[in-house]
Amino acid sequence: MSWPIIRALVAKDLTLFFRNRFFAFISVLGIVFYIGIYFFMPSSVDEALDIGLYAPVLPPIFEQVQGEGLSIELVDSVETLEEGVTEGCYLAGIALPPDIMEKLATGSKVTVDVYFAADTPQELKDAVTSLIEELAYMQSGQMLAVDISEEIIGPDMLGRQIPPRDRILPFFAIFIILTETLGLSSLISEEIESRTAQALLITPMTIKGLFLAKGITGVSLAFGQALLFMLATGGLNQQPLIILLTLLLASLLVTGIGFLLGSAGKDLMSVMAWGLPAMIILAVPAFGVMFPGTVSDWVKVIPSYYLVDTVHLSANFGLGWGDVWQNLLILLGFDIAFFGLGIIALRRKLT
Amino acid sequence: MVGDAIVAEDLTYRYGQLLAVDHISFKVAEGEILGFLGPNGAGKSTTVKVLTGQLQPKEGKVTVLGIDVAHDPEKVQAQIGVCFEITNLYEKMSAEENLKLFARLFGVPHFDAGALLERVGLEGREHDRVEEYSKGMKQRLMVARALVNQPSILFLDEPTDGLDPASADNIRKVILEERERGATVFLTTHDMMEADKLSDRVGFINQGKIVALDTPHNLKQQYGKRALRAQVAGPDGDLESREIIMDQPETAGAVQELFGREKVVTIHSEEASLEDIFIDITGRGLTE
Repeated sequence: MSWPIIRALVAKDLTLFFRNRFFAFISVLGIVFYIGIYFFMPSSVDEALDIGLYAPVLPPIFEQVQGEGLSIELVDSVETLEEGVTEGCYLAGIALPPDIMEKLATGSKVTVDVYFAADTPQELKDAVTSLIEELAYMQSGQMLAVDISEEIIGPDMLGRQIPPRDRILPFFAIFIILTETLGLSSLISEEIESRTAQALLITPMTIKGLFLAKGITGVSLAFGQALLFMLATGGLNQQPLIILLTLLLASLLVTGIGFLLGSAGKDLMSVMAWGLPAMIILAVPAFGVMFPGTVSDWVKVIPSYYLVDTVHLSANFGLGWGDVWQNLLILLGFDIAFFGLGIIALRRKLT
Repeated sequence: MVGDAIVAEDLTYRYGQLLAVDHISFKVAEGEILGFLGPNGAGKSTTVKVLTGQLQPKEGKVTVLGIDVAHDPEKVQAQIGVCFEITNLYEKMSAEENLKLFARLFGVPHFDAGALLERVGLEGREHDRVEEYSKGMKQRLMVARALVNQPSILFLDEPTDGLDPASADNIRKVILEERERGATVFLTTHDMMEADKLSDRVGFINQGKIVALDTPHNLKQQYGKRALRAQVAGPDGDLESREIIMDQPETAGAVQELFGREKVVTIHSEEASLEDIFIDITGRGLTE
């Protein structure tokens, strides 16, 4: 295997990639667009508590606590309350029993139903619980037994209160990397269909060298662009080594997928036909980060979950090697599997 | 003493159950042009693929420049040039970029793309993208690419197929120049005129077997029949054609009879073409 030969082929592939107006355009525009959107999104968390309240009899104290970060809206039924929480109008919904005033006056136990959205952080749940207890105390003038019945609508999510722009960061990172899958697979399919691969393989270039060159091209394109994006958005401020390794593993993954798509496709259109569904599937885990509660545990079978989760945990929460090593190991396993499958498929096509 | 550039012994190749090349043996001397003729599907391209290390023979052995191709294809490929039947250039790159890429792959130092492009008549268009080239220009560039590493053996697969006369002549000129340089040329074609003009020897391949291999002259001597072809005026003034086979005991009588009974307008001798010989040997034409 000769490095000048590999270098020549990588240089040729990069030249051809950027001569393809479509890929050159979406690559450059993509980065600019994603960076723009990132900075356009809010960088802080809205900490106002919007709470829905169903109260057949409204204790006077609830009318007095409006303002100062707390907004209480009265609704006329438990169903409306549940609907408001589900749709995200309220962070929590409180349903008071009809006999609350009597029970507070007699000092007997009060049961209050509280509804939370799926992605309500634990801190907020604790805050709402304390608020109810505090209000009950203020109303009666003494500590009373309040039984709070918590109901979660959808799967519970723990402690994920981060600004929207940081929440979307892993999504953009994976999308940039995934876009390069299409570029690489298009280069490969063109090489096969135009039979230039046949011409290459009748020079001192070996099939191993061809795979290596294509691999370097794919990883360079995907990793380079994701790196640019992370640098521009400050995504490397926390745990840069973990994030760099994750992006590298992700680039290897999409290169393996690119090999598969490249050997399956005949031209740009068929690469798109195979590639877009693959991209959508691979992007699903990122939606789970952007919109907590929208995807379930099954996303863990999608290789990109481990990329998104690691970038999210490390870039947004600063978690270290001890917390993400399993993710990285699984991602490496997927890399080996997809790279192996890609090489087998491509070798069959070339020979 | 001239050695053998290519030696094929009992070469066999199958695509599954289909026997594409059937136990063929031949040698090509250094500096020789061998025309390899046969109709489509006869096994020409498969033979070239095995000789150039693209396919491994199922049986038999191929030695190219003294190297066993099956064992060390890369070493062989470093010393040969291949011009494929189907154009396979990087269309989004210029002619110069295409040639420079392959020069780098072959590790050619101080490569002069301009000089090579001038040889094939593409000077002045070296910076144009190949997608803007005509078919003839692309084919000339394919030949130029095969010459990048100054190969010891040049494999040309239908290099003038479908080209205009000027482009075809240019390619034939380059082939002869390469022989002058000392290169061996393995020319695959079904154009018998081209094979006749260029080749030192021609081999006929049919249904995977070599059915004849000799110089064009010897083949014509061995298989061909010379003839006299005459045009005579018919009773209503229309021209009619007459053929008399030469070198036969009855030839003289037939000529005498022709001139005695008919009004001869034109007459000329005709030599058998390679296609006639191919049909004679195999019972089928080269273009079937």
